[in-house]
Amino acid sequence: MMIKQRVILSAAKDPYLQARRMIGTDASPSLRLSMTLGAVLLAVAATASAQETVTVIRNATVLTITKGRIEHGSVVIRGAKIAAVGPDAQVSVPAGARVIDAAGKFVMPGIVDTHSHTGVDGSVNELSLPNTGMVRIGDVITNEDISAYRQLAGGTTTALVLHGSANAIGGQSQIVKWKWGHPASEWLVADAPRTIKFALGENPKSANFKPPAGIDPQYPATRMGVEEVIRKSFLDAKDYMARWDDYEARRKRGETPIPPRRDLLMETMADILRGKIDVHSHCYRADEILMLLNLGDELGFKVRELQHVLEGYKVAKEIAAHGTGSGTFIDWWGFKAEAYDAIPYNVALMVRNGVLTSVNSDDDDLARRLNQDAAKAMKYGGLSEDEALMLCTINPAKQLRLDHRIGSIEVGKDADLVIWTGNPLSSYSRVETTFVEGEAVFDRQHDLQQREERAKEKRERLAKEAKDPKEKDSE
Amino acid sequence: MPPRISSTAAEVEMPLMRHAFAALLILSALAARGDAPGVYAITGGTVHTAAGADIANGVVIVRDGLIEAVGAGLAIPADAATIDAAGMHVYPGLIDAQTSLGFTSAKPAQRRRGGGARSAAQEGPAVPETSPSFLAINNVKLSDDDLDAARSAGITTILTVPTTGIFNGQSVILNLGSGSAESRVVKQPATMQVSFNTRSTWVYPDSLMGVMAYIRQTLLDAQQYAAARAVYDRSPAGNKRPEENLSSQALGPVLLRELPVVFVANDELMMRRALAIAKEMNLRLILAGARQAYKMPDELKQLGVPLLVSVNWPKPPADKDDREEQPLRVIRDRQLAPTTPAALVKSGAAFALVSGGAKSADFAGGIRKAMDNGLTADDALRATTIWPARILGVDRQLGSLERGKIANVVVTDKPIFAKERQVKRLLIDGREVRVTPAAEKKKAGAASAIDGTWSLSVRSAQGDVAITATLHGENGTVTGTYSGDRGSGEIRNGSLDGTTIEFTITATGSNQSEAGDWVFHGTVSGTSMTGTVSTNLGSFQFTGSKAK
Repeated sequence: MMIKQRVILSAAKDPYLQARRMIGTDASPSLRLSMTLGAVLLAVAATASAQETVTVIRNATVLTITKGRIEHGSVVIRGAKIAAVGPDAQVSVPAGARVIDAAGKFVMPGIVDTHSHTGVDGSVNELSLPNTGMVRIGDVITNEDISAYRQLAGGTTTALVLHGSANAIGGQSQIVKWKWGHPASEWLVADAPRTIKFALGENPKSANFKPPAGIDPQYPATRMGVEEVIRKSFLDAKDYMARWDDYEARRKRGETPIPPRRDLLMETMADILRGKIDVHSHCYRADEILMLLNLGDELGFKVRELQHVLEGYKVAKEIAAHGTGSGTFIDWWGFKAEAYDAIPYNVALMVRNGVLTSVNSDDDDLARRLNQDAAKAMKYGGLSEDEALMLCTINPAKQLRLDHRIGSIEVGKDADLVIWTGNPLSSYSRVETTFVEGEAVFDRQHDLQQREERAKEKRERLAKEAKDPKEKDSE
Repeated sequence: MPPRISSTAAEVEMPLMRHAFAALLILSALAARGDAPGVYAITGGTVHTAAGADIANGVVIVRDGLIEAVGAGLAIPADAATIDAAGMHVYPGLIDAQTSLGFTSAKPAQRRRGGGARSAAQEGPAVPETSPSFLAINNVKLSDDDLDAARSAGITTILTVPTTGIFNGQSVILNLGSGSAESRVVKQPATMQVSFNTRSTWVYPDSLMGVMAYIRQTLLDAQQYAAARAVYDRSPAGNKRPEENLSSQALGPVLLRELPVVFVANDELMMRRALAIAKEMNLRLILAGARQAYKMPDELKQLGVPLLVSVNWPKPPADKDDREEQPLRVIRDRQLAPTTPAALVKSGAAFALVSGGAKSADFAGGIRKAMDNGLTADDALRATTIWPARILGVDRQLGSLERGKIANVVVTDKPIFAKERQVKRLLIDGREVRVTPAAEKKKAGAASAIDGTWSLSVRSAQGDVAITATLHGENGTVTGTYSGDRGSGEIRNGSLDGTTIEFTITATGSNQSEAGDWVFHGTVSGTSMTGTVSTNLGSFQFTGSKAK
């Protein structure tokens, strides 16, 4: 429910110019001259990653998440993957490798945010119907949202970009990596599970999405109605599947039946029942959480992750028993009636009761400091450092069913790595460099260098327009 | 060979007596019909054929609506009226392959990032929802102003279709001569057009992703319709009769790749979305808009997708502060967009230059901008004549000054895309058409149409915000005052370009992020306007209506 900040001035790398620079076809010679050393280095690193160049981060405190902490440790990146990890003494530096001395610094896996609305072209809500499962966030991912870059600067590398919560069953969501500088198509994690957004409570019952005068309020208007929409949708899907089964059966019998309509909404619902689409459901209150879990039992679908789930602590055992995960805010509460019972101990209580728990953002800004929200779980409920770090790394990776690729520093996993100036659980630590699949997509030094370069380009371009401020094209 | 060409060729080979007799017959027919095409010899000018080298002091002979001969030193037929083009330039008529001329409710697409709703929800659908079965030919009404504006720009042929709705309908290619709509038609239907337009909020689809799903489902339904009909026609007994569906029926030729589909998509991401759907559904795709094709010229060449590149280039805000506040990405893009045509020439991708919803009068200016960015004059001419003719499949009858083709001929005092050039003589379908220079009063007239008190409603994240604005337009500038839920004051940076209105207010708010500039960008249609407002809190849709 957060609102996007307006982008005033992008200080970030621009994917287009970056690409043009790499292939040396920049339109303006002055731009090429203004390339800084940083840009060259980054471009080289980016190009080289395709050729399996090797980067070694040495002498760092490596937070592997799953295999403990390594003081004076090394991580070897080969191409897009982690090739080796261990104490400096046990990891050899391959010949020709680029070595980053990370003395005094910390390395952790890229942060995973299971609740994002960043990088969406157009509205994140298809408001018009109580069930809009036919629409897909993956169709409208944009690589021009500066917030993605800013999140890299906060160590976040992977996100579940969700449809909004205006309807009981929203659109299909999309797991992305913030591959800043790459085409939008490459942001989509190709082999990631398909996902869909459900929503319970005030939002889908139109408390917060009121149509303008002249348009009838949309069904449902109560929590009962929300439940009915979901149940009816699945029952319809079962009818739909039966129609197709009947069609196939008749064809096998040698009949020539008319094919049923292929309905994208019903296909989606059927794929949820077939276990091909994971449900991530917005919710707040304990009663609606239990309602959804029971509905899943009744109709035969699983809830992969509850989102927000601020009263999760009241029903943590039931959530855990369903194998359902929870992605929540650590200390946001009271922002609406259904959030009044939220407590910051929610995270720790759910963790202690066996719920696979993560902290997530639902917000461009919070997505830049999920490490700090994880740290707060140490204060509220006494999670250990390792448990806190898991809240924004391996746990959300498991919730996305991508823990074979991301969420920890292990050999063979994606080289999504973040170098911090200090312990990431300290609010004084900052991100130095963020790698996504072996490529340094954010680098603080490079960022600082290119700011002047970009300011200069902007000055030059604006000056060009100032000469003919109102270009009259008409005759 | 089209029959017209062979008959002309046969005519030339006739014995003198029969030839003269035939000419006499034609002349008498001409006298009887009054506006029948005659015989013309355009002499003395530099002839730019768009089909080879320019001909200095060339002659173009036109007979009975067709080009009879083109060359240097040709004998002038005795029955020809001579058009002296000495010191002037002779061109094939320009083809504007992407317009909505003749559709009064049609507005240039105003989809900004955020996908604004197109019509006031309060008023219901302000424009008729078009659909695949909508035929432009049945509804096009070209006004004298439309015709004057296009002809003054040297445009003799247009492809037109409304821009409203998602499936805009089936376009028609028209010559802009005198005569009935039917006599103007060159090709119908020419294309099926699709735009990524969202509908009013709370009407499916009201988001861009919803539009994608809607397009997919509509095409799937057409597939199912075709399959169901095929089964039913083969074995009606024992099968339930399929429902009739004109929309699905109209999409049949599209699914068979007989009718090309034009997707309107200006930026790279939208082009990629169109490419994705076309690939999924195996459509014969043409991309229109394509102003960011400079980002992917080689890929477009490789994909073999023809482009109708809009020369309605993005423009900088008039206000200096507004320009400086824009991100570099936006500034850079609007400066690089006009490099698209030259980049496409280099890559070898098929393309045409089109007005893309801008006024016909701005066509040449937009093309000049492409020429300033590397497009040669020869390629600019081809991109507005023979290349669009090829993309639209009418290059055997249009697009160049060649024997046998339709006699659309433009005579200008300066090169056709030069500043302040005038169209001196114009033949369309072989008939001379008088060109009235675009009247300045038109602009003033359009601006004054917004004069009045407007009730604006902004759908902000905090709920609806009501603002009353009193607007006055003059020579493209909009001034006035506003008051309402977000304070009151003077309108700033107001402009009106055709139906596109922009203005800024300084909003007050309960906190810092709510306050600040609200930049309105909308489309005016009579007494209503719709569009988006950019604020510190993001982009919102707004609607407005003028007090009667």
